[in-house]
Amino acid sequence: MSGQGTSAAYEGKVRIEYAERYTFSSALGSGSCVSRPLERVGRSIMRLAPLVVWGALLLAPIRLEAQTLTTQTLQAVISPLGGLFSFPNSVTLSKTGTTFNNFTGSLAIQYRARTTQSTGGGTITVQATSDFNPANGPSIASPPSAGDALRYTCSGATLGTNCSGTQTVRTFASTNVVTLSASECTGGGGSCSSTDPNTVTVNFTLTNDPKYKTGSYSATLTFTISAS
Amino acid sequence: MKKIVALVGVALLFTAPLAHAQLGSATGTTTVSVTVGAEAALNITNSSTPLTATGTNFSNYTGSTGLTYFVRTTQSGGSGSVTLKVTTDFSPANGPSVGTPPSAGDKLAYTCSLSGVGTACSGSQTSSTTASTSVATFGADAHTVTFPGGDTATTAWTLTNDPKYKTGSYSATVTFTISAS
Repeated sequence: MSGQGTSAAYEGKVRIEYAERYTFSSALGSGSCVSRPLERVGRSIMRLAPLVVWGALLLAPIRLEAQTLTTQTLQAVISPLGGLFSFPNSVTLSKTGTTFNNFTGSLAIQYRARTTQSTGGGTITVQATSDFNPANGPSIASPPSAGDALRYTCSGATLGTNCSGTQTVRTFASTNVVTLSASECTGGGGSCSSTDPNTVTVNFTLTNDPKYKTGSYSATLTFTISAS
Repeated sequence: MKKIVALVGVALLFTAPLAHAQLGSATGTTTVSVTVGAEAALNITNSSTPLTATGTNFSNYTGSTGLTYFVRTTQSGGSGSVTLKVTTDFSPANGPSVGTPPSAGDKLAYTCSLSGVGTACSGSQTSSTTASTSVATFGADAHTVTFPGGDTATTAWTLTNDPKYKTGSYSATVTFTISAS
């Protein structure tokens, strides 16, 4: 081993180190010479093992994706809903014809709704959330004469049923505009309405009481839609 | 597959608000406004008013016409009135006449009374075919008291019983006018 070149000496040194190590474990030098390359391979494998494991972990999802069939159940919960939109911000009541004819005006409401099958229903209602002001003019809550009122009829509901006859707007309670039955829905035809959105017209009539002082008056009406 | 599901999920997140917007809201408010102006109206209670003479000979013919009226005048600076005018004189001829009476002093006169807002005409008024005469006047911010029935007014007529009138039946047309500002 001493006659080996520099490079060989280098290699021999390595071997010596191995030999020294294996001297303790084995008295047979030849046996040591056979076992050292295998050990190197084993150590190399041990060194590469983490890389292999990491590589496997990284590649595993990709391989799983490519090979595994997955199924997902898409579940849609169709709930009853109702909505008002394109809602006019104001309606002006005016008088036509002879003196002291009542003030009249119309309001078109657009809505969409869907009610539960068999047991569902819904309504559109209206309530005066702010009475006419200023004072000394028309009033919903405390009119100057018995019989004064803001009344309305409903017409042309394309989904549901128009309110019945003439209704009177209240400040303390909601009154009916449209009644929705079970299994009603907006648009699409078939069991649903053919129109989308749905519309209903509310025709207002305000008593023209001579006791009203001259001037301009306004009130706020709130419409509410509900569906179940 | 997961990437597609993720994309679909993201898309749904963006479309959900859109679906809500299309549905609208559960409530909506609107302002109802009205402009109340000055107005006035009346109705004649009796479409015809017979004038009759009672009591002693040549006592005047009398009768009355009732009317209901509705009035609303402007709060500041407003006013109103009820007037009448003989728009068609008595006919046929040779009887009583408002425009050309057979005797000076012959006239169709009236007095007024009100039950409601306004001021009745003062004293006895002489009707005319050429001018309107007062029945009632209203000031600013005047409003009919009785609604929906209306306030009431009465004109009590007196027609001279002139011996020169030929016998017969005669009639004239009186037009009442109410106004408010």
